[in-house]
Amino acid sequence: MYSELTRRYFESAARAGVLEGARCFRGSAGSRAQGTWVQFDVQLAPSARSLEEARFLAFGCPHVIAVSSWVAERASGLELGARLPESVEALRERFAVPTEKLGRLLIIEDAWIAALRAAGAG
Amino acid sequence: MSSSPVYLDYAATTPVAPQVAARMAECLTFEGTFGNPGSSSHEYGERARERVEAARAQVAAAVGAEPSEVVWTSGATEANNLAIFGTAHYHRGVGGHIVTARTEHRSVLDPCRELERRGWRVTYLKPDREGLIDPQAVAAAIEPDTVLVSLMHVNNEIGTLQDIAAIAVSCAAQGRARLHVDAAQSVGKCAVNFAALGVDLMSLSAHKAYGPKGVGALLVSRRRGARLAPLHLGGGQEGGLRSGTVPTHQVVGMGAAFELASAALPYEIERVALLQERLWEGLATLGGVTRNGGARSVPHLLNVSFDGVEGESLVAAIRPHLAVSTGSACTSIHREPSSVLRALGRDDRSAESSLRFSIGRFSTASDVDTALAVVKHALERLRRIAGA
Repeated sequence: MYSELTRRYFESAARAGVLEGARCFRGSAGSRAQGTWVQFDVQLAPSARSLEEARFLAFGCPHVIAVSSWVAERASGLELGARLPESVEALRERFAVPTEKLGRLLIIEDAWIAALRAAGAG
Repeated sequence: MSSSPVYLDYAATTPVAPQVAARMAECLTFEGTFGNPGSSSHEYGERARERVEAARAQVAAAVGAEPSEVVWTSGATEANNLAIFGTAHYHRGVGGHIVTARTEHRSVLDPCRELERRGWRVTYLKPDREGLIDPQAVAAAIEPDTVLVSLMHVNNEIGTLQDIAAIAVSCAAQGRARLHVDAAQSVGKCAVNFAALGVDLMSLSAHKAYGPKGVGALLVSRRRGARLAPLHLGGGQEGGLRSGTVPTHQVVGMGAAFELASAALPYEIERVALLQERLWEGLATLGGVTRNGGARSVPHLLNVSFDGVEGESLVAAIRPHLAVSTGSACTSIHREPSSVLRALGRDDRSAESSLRFSIGRFSTASDVDTALAVVKHALERLRRIAGA
């Protein structure tokens, strides 16, 4: 039902949590009532041109939690741009997400973009 | 935590009791009772027929029926289909209306929907928030051309125990309508007395009561003059109601299983009730927990919704450690909230985040404690990830 990668990131969810303090910004998308909600907190590097780290919260299926966790893990060192570390389609393939769940990946993307825009990205 | 998942899904199916398996094995090989029970011309067939009739008597005794009222089927699904389509076909030209409930099993609802496509009218009664059907609502739903009322005894998802005797009185007061009861979940979980309940037709399943899969029965009341048209034509077995060679080993297994279940019922109910109480008390401490169903239910089933977690993730989190059923009907990619929980007024999220724990003969207090630990860990983790 789930790929090994999905299960691993779902079970660890290592980057689950929030960031607060200087250079921290937040964005979210979706709704719990609709079944999928994602929030990203990003912290800018002192230069304000790249990300130092990210955390996520997610109410959703294992794919949503796994992909959100992976995205947050990849944040460190990323240049500040309103894009995911990988395209939604690449994430779908990487985590073997059923096509019918594509909308949930778009919610992750929206939450990520909202956080980066809050941080000042394009 | 145990490396092998704890099994608390006895309402889905049960393992065959060792004594039952031994009786079945006696009917398989050349040295055993392998003959065709329909072969009256030789001893092999005669021996098989004796085993089949003994099993028929065991099943009848376990549920307060006469042996002549037991019609073997391949399971409760076939029994439900035979009851509904068989009644409808027998009464075609006379009746055109059936009464059932929104909380019935699909093996009742789907035949009703098929009859609707063929021009029949079906009334789907709405239960109260505990899953109970008001006998007065049954009476009010019966129309002059109603030929059948089909309601389950024990609900397979929430364990609600319908007041079938009161519903039977409602049906009798309205005249022609026959009462069919799906009792697939009942045997071994509560007392069943076909004659005393005043029911015309009753569906039974072997594999819910530590018997084999692939066999069940429809009880057809002779005293009440229930009439059916057969769905299978062929050899005329089972009084012409269910053609096809009777599978001796299967029905012998069902007979043995029902006899065991009937004998074990008094102490098994008490033991299981204590385990359920232990489970519910533990779950209730986790917060954001709602019990689906009510006080009038069998102790073997406990259906609970959990706030603050998404259903699919909850199931994925507990799956390695705990075998229970979920509040959604799962296909490979699509999940639909349980129609039973929706009928009780639960919203989609609540229905999807529900679990059905069903306790059985081999369940222990240790199993319950493991289940509590697994659910607690999963809930705390997923609620933390969700920021709940």
